[in-house]
Amino acid sequence: MSIDQTAGNPDFASESQLKRKALFRTIRIKTLQVSLAAALLYSWQMLTDHKIMDPFFFGKPTGVWHQLFVWIHNGTAAGSLWYNAYVTLMESTYGFLIGVILGVIFGILLGRNRILAEVFAPYIKIANSIPRVVLGSIFTVIWGLGSTSKIALAFVLVFFPVFFNAFTGTHEADKKLIANARLLGASKRQVTRKVVLPSALSWIMASMHVSFGFAIIGAIVGEFLGSNHGLGLLIATAQATFNPNGVYAAMLIIGIMALTAEWLITQLENRLLNWRPNQNSGAEL
Amino acid sequence: MANGVHVKFSNVSKRFRTPKGDWYQAIKELDFEIQPGEFVSLVGPTGCGKSTALTLVSGLEFPSLGTVEVDGTVVKDIDTSTGFVFQHDATFPWMNVANNVAAGPRFRGVPDKEVDALVQKWIGKVGLTGFEKHFPHQLSGGMRKRVALAQSLINEPRLLLLDEPFSALDVQTRAIMTEELMQLWEQTGSTVMFVTHDLEEAIALSDRVLVLTAGPGSIKANFKIDLPRPRKARDIRFSPEFIKIYQEIWEVLREEVDVAYQRQLIASK
Repeated sequence: MSIDQTAGNPDFASESQLKRKALFRTIRIKTLQVSLAAALLYSWQMLTDHKIMDPFFFGKPTGVWHQLFVWIHNGTAAGSLWYNAYVTLMESTYGFLIGVILGVIFGILLGRNRILAEVFAPYIKIANSIPRVVLGSIFTVIWGLGSTSKIALAFVLVFFPVFFNAFTGTHEADKKLIANARLLGASKRQVTRKVVLPSALSWIMASMHVSFGFAIIGAIVGEFLGSNHGLGLLIATAQATFNPNGVYAAMLIIGIMALTAEWLITQLENRLLNWRPNQNSGAEL
Repeated sequence: MANGVHVKFSNVSKRFRTPKGDWYQAIKELDFEIQPGEFVSLVGPTGCGKSTALTLVSGLEFPSLGTVEVDGTVVKDIDTSTGFVFQHDATFPWMNVANNVAAGPRFRGVPDKEVDALVQKWIGKVGLTGFEKHFPHQLSGGMRKRVALAQSLINEPRLLLLDEPFSALDVQTRAIMTEELMQLWEQTGSTVMFVTHDLEEAIALSDRVLVLTAGPGSIKANFKIDLPRPRKARDIRFSPEFIKIYQEIWEVLREEVDVAYQRQLIASK
């Protein structure tokens, strides 16, 4: 007597069965994610509608929505919403790019040069221990209300994490690979460009994920401290007029910007680090 | 250089600082010569400084005392006419097979067109045609070793240094690689210094086997291997001549292995 042991056995599932299973799984997770958001928004709305939470402090989802509507249609006190979002995005992006480029250059330079690293080490430690947001005040004094002071603050926040990761990545570069490249005929410069930079790249990419968030913080805090435009100004204005909905509405836009940037950085990472073995395990957090 | 000595160790000693701050002597008064085109194996117990000897020839390290000469010139810098295949993987993980093999010529500024032709030729020679676009992590250990060999041989080194290149491979893959290395070498005619702890592999491949003493390493014995070429590495190990040589060398090597082993026992107590 023979029983078909493969029927219904997950280890013998056909390609189409597996695909269907994966599809169901995705739908289930997405449904749960959307329900969670809906539940949270609904309870926020209910709690504030029934005055269990005071809408004067906590705002309410419909209020946030209305605020966004007003901003989009009538503009803000500081000009159109898009222009303000553009200003913040531009400041963060410039600060981010300058911070990443200089961070990588200095990280690799000091990582490759022992003397430079030892000379600079105490100064970098001191610079890193200063709460850098405070510098925003100085930058505002130096460069005034325009974008320059915000870009400078975003840059200062981005530079250090990128610098430290680039430095560590350079140090961690496999000595065997460097020796191999030298024996194959690479000059010191070629070793840096073709061996050290690619090996440090996963470190650098890791720091880029965090540091775009820092760039946005820099821009927003800079705008708090004094500016003519920007989402930070919208938040500061909303705060001054006891308008929590305005704060949340601006937060929402910042969140969308940050997520988009994160997505772009992930795309870049996948392209640059396509040589790495697939690490598709576990949930993405 | 048809005549003259290719590699010459004159009274070479090398000592290192250990992380604890002690001195560790890897090599002591090492003295030998290698003729052009010779295939010489260095065998010896673990820690006898045989790998150190290779780094001194390549210019990655320098002797503490004595001199190492290649082609009559003292080694003072990394010598790019020397090829080096490492024990552990040293292929570039971010380059595919073709780019890994092309690395040497590109570093040396060979024009792109010539590089492509060379790469095709060497990928074919090591039997990796069809894998040009694969990344090292997608290959087996044996295939990665082929990449490493092609990467080194494409530069047509006159002197090839092999540091236990096959020790990480399983026995069967190792036998195949040994055979292919022999065929590749017979085509190039370069001088080879081969470090291994596998005596069978050493005898099957070499013209000469140098036995080193337990560390600090110096020459204990020098055996000429007169087995006829071309050899078939897989069959040769069953021939009576091979077995006779094997026993002879093993007698000598065993004393040193015992010394090294006793030391390990004492050190671990």
